[in-house]
Amino acid sequence: MYTRIGLFLVVLVQLCSAPAMAQEADALRKELEELRKQFGAMKDAYEKSINTLSERIQAIESRAQPSAVAPAVAAPAASAPPEQAVSQAPAGGQPSLMELARPREPFSLYQRRGAGQLLFDMGITGDFIGNLTQDNVQKASGGTFSGRENRFFPREIELNLFGQIDPYARAEVRIEAGEEERGQEITVKLAEATISLMTLPFGTQAKLGQMRNRFGLTNVIHEHDLPFIDRPNVLVKFLGEEGLVEKGAEFTWVPPLPFFLELLGGVFNGDNETAFGLGSIKYPLVTGRARTFFDFEEWGAIQLGMSVANGLTSERLRNTILGADAKYKYKPDGWQQAFLTVAGEALYQMRRVNVSGEDVDGDGVPDTPDEKRNRNRFGWWAYGELRPFRFGPLSLWSAGFRYDWTEYPQNPGHEWAAQPYLSFAPSEFLRFRLGYKHTERSLRDGINLNGGSARSVDELLFQATFILGAHPAHPF
Amino acid sequence: MRTLMPTVLSAVVSFALLIGGAGAADKIRVVATTTDLKALTEAVGGDLVDADALARGNQNPHDLEVRPSLMVKVRRADLLVMNGLELDQWAEVVIQGANNPKVIPGAPGRVDASQGILVLEVPTTRVDRSMGDVHPLGNPHYTLDPGMAPAITGNILEGLSRAAPQSRATFERNRKEFLARLDDAMAGWTRMMAPLKGARVIVDHNLWPYFLTRFGLLQANSIEERPGIPPTPGHLTKLIAVMKEERIKVILAAPWGDQKLADRIAQETGAKVVPMASAVGAVKGADNYLDTIDYNVKAVAQALR
Repeated sequence: MYTRIGLFLVVLVQLCSAPAMAQEADALRKELEELRKQFGAMKDAYEKSINTLSERIQAIESRAQPSAVAPAVAAPAASAPPEQAVSQAPAGGQPSLMELARPREPFSLYQRRGAGQLLFDMGITGDFIGNLTQDNVQKASGGTFSGRENRFFPREIELNLFGQIDPYARAEVRIEAGEEERGQEITVKLAEATISLMTLPFGTQAKLGQMRNRFGLTNVIHEHDLPFIDRPNVLVKFLGEEGLVEKGAEFTWVPPLPFFLELLGGVFNGDNETAFGLGSIKYPLVTGRARTFFDFEEWGAIQLGMSVANGLTSERLRNTILGADAKYKYKPDGWQQAFLTVAGEALYQMRRVNVSGEDVDGDGVPDTPDEKRNRNRFGWWAYGELRPFRFGPLSLWSAGFRYDWTEYPQNPGHEWAAQPYLSFAPSEFLRFRLGYKHTERSLRDGINLNGGSARSVDELLFQATFILGAHPAHPF
Repeated sequence: MRTLMPTVLSAVVSFALLIGGAGAADKIRVVATTTDLKALTEAVGGDLVDADALARGNQNPHDLEVRPSLMVKVRRADLLVMNGLELDQWAEVVIQGANNPKVIPGAPGRVDASQGILVLEVPTTRVDRSMGDVHPLGNPHYTLDPGMAPAITGNILEGLSRAAPQSRATFERNRKEFLARLDDAMAGWTRMMAPLKGARVIVDHNLWPYFLTRFGLLQANSIEERPGIPPTPGHLTKLIAVMKEERIKVILAAPWGDQKLADRIAQETGAKVVPMASAVGAVKGADNYLDTIDYNVKAVAQALR
């Protein structure tokens, strides 16, 4: 009975739903039609957008954009009379007095960098040194890194900030920290802070502040950028471990000649205690340098320089140091790095010193009068570095050798040193060096502290250097 | 000594004044950091400019040694044309040593050729040097795309017009003529490359995204795993496997790249190394801008056929 009723109900439902299904199919057809229309409209819209974008790209590509620096001097219209146009441009790029007096913002220089960016560059360099030597050398503090023998230490961790101050000047600030004495706190100090005036007339520039002097070949180079592990002996003996770092001003002139010639003059306090030390701008340390360069294209290039530094010591006696330097690089065509680099530097010191009278007969009273004498001293160094491979893993390696010979600036005697080293640089920003240095001194005087002796010194030297962030390209 | 110094100094001054004055009024002295920019400057400036380049065509322009001989060129320049996307950052050190206020940052004698360019590969995430020598402002090799020449020459035109406003009309005429020649050539290049659209190539350094995009080619991979860092053996093994699997038959090589390595990979994979003109003057026959692009298009088209 129930089966019959169920069957009847199913038949009834099917009979009722037949017209409904036909209606549903119609609705679906209409919906599909609507969708097709919508899809067509969307397709048209997308094609239109793509065409508009393509036109915009073409328009941008063919449009003449004013350069980033254009706001400084608006480009004159083609129709403008030449006189008017000329008057808009400062002659030779020199700012007028009115321009200099006007408050200015250097933002146009940096519009590419966008919001939230610094208006200057920043980088950190780190330089770590390890050295192993004999115990007697450590006792006498007679190693290359005096007072830090048989140690691994940060020699120079440097924060560099540099960039344009405004359209006329740039600034560089370097703050460095490093271990200077065994077991002492690491000291942080201002290494350099300078302003360079870039728009002075007749091809001149002025740099003022505290700086590494452009004296000789390597004095200006920071520790981490030196082509070898340690500063050459003659520079350490004549100018101190840090070299010549002074407060004052340097002026350079690059005359418009067919070859490179840079003439430099400087006036400084003379704070360097090793060579000068009077520390007064009234009796200044005066420096000078001439540098020239010859490019032989495929046969390499050579730079020649001569330097002079003349000032008063703390005893108010004159000290003059003359320098001559040369650097040659051979880089075969297409090579990224030099195959061979050879360089050298010689210094000659003419120094007046006070010499106390001598007690000849041993009675405790000087028998000869105090007098002033000349201490004319000489020293030099030379090095060569070879990077024989252009590509591949071996291209990351180079080998070098440096030879030093120098007299002592005040004491009698001399020393020489030979130093072979290997350098491995996995990238431009990371470098390791391993070197061996042998030093021979002619006298024990001054290097026999605490009963130790540093007359003959053997050292194993290690250096690790990194560059983080911005770092200016290295000059020749 | 005391009498010698002033004599030498006065001789240098007199000579410098003599040299500096001579010929100064004749032509606009333009220095471009690369040979491409020099060629495009010559196209716009014509006879009115005396153009020179700092990098040679066959040199890697990323990391040029800052020689004082480059400073001599910049010392005398009225205008300096730069890439603007940090390809030629070394030029800043050259400028600092050149003592020429006309071309320091912010001066009117400085032209950023990249203004208005649609820069490719601008990093959208944080970048650091673990990625190699990346360009934070985007890929700087836009001069290799002839489609960028209108914008580049537009920037040069503005720079030249700032230096010599009275000659603007001449510069505009020169540019128009150059772009007309470029248009003609472009039609031929597009025809030649049309059948090759979608073809995949390997590059030694990431020099070619603009060129490849222009002609519808694809860069499948690079010999350098990270820009500026020699490839690891692991990367080379993977690269060779990919080239074999995907049957990639062309390696585009810059003249300053590791030719032997490219040859070795080609030998392993049966691919062909195509020496490309990475800049004007990089290879024989690429003597001006149009010839350089023509050389590259023909070289790639021939290799892919």
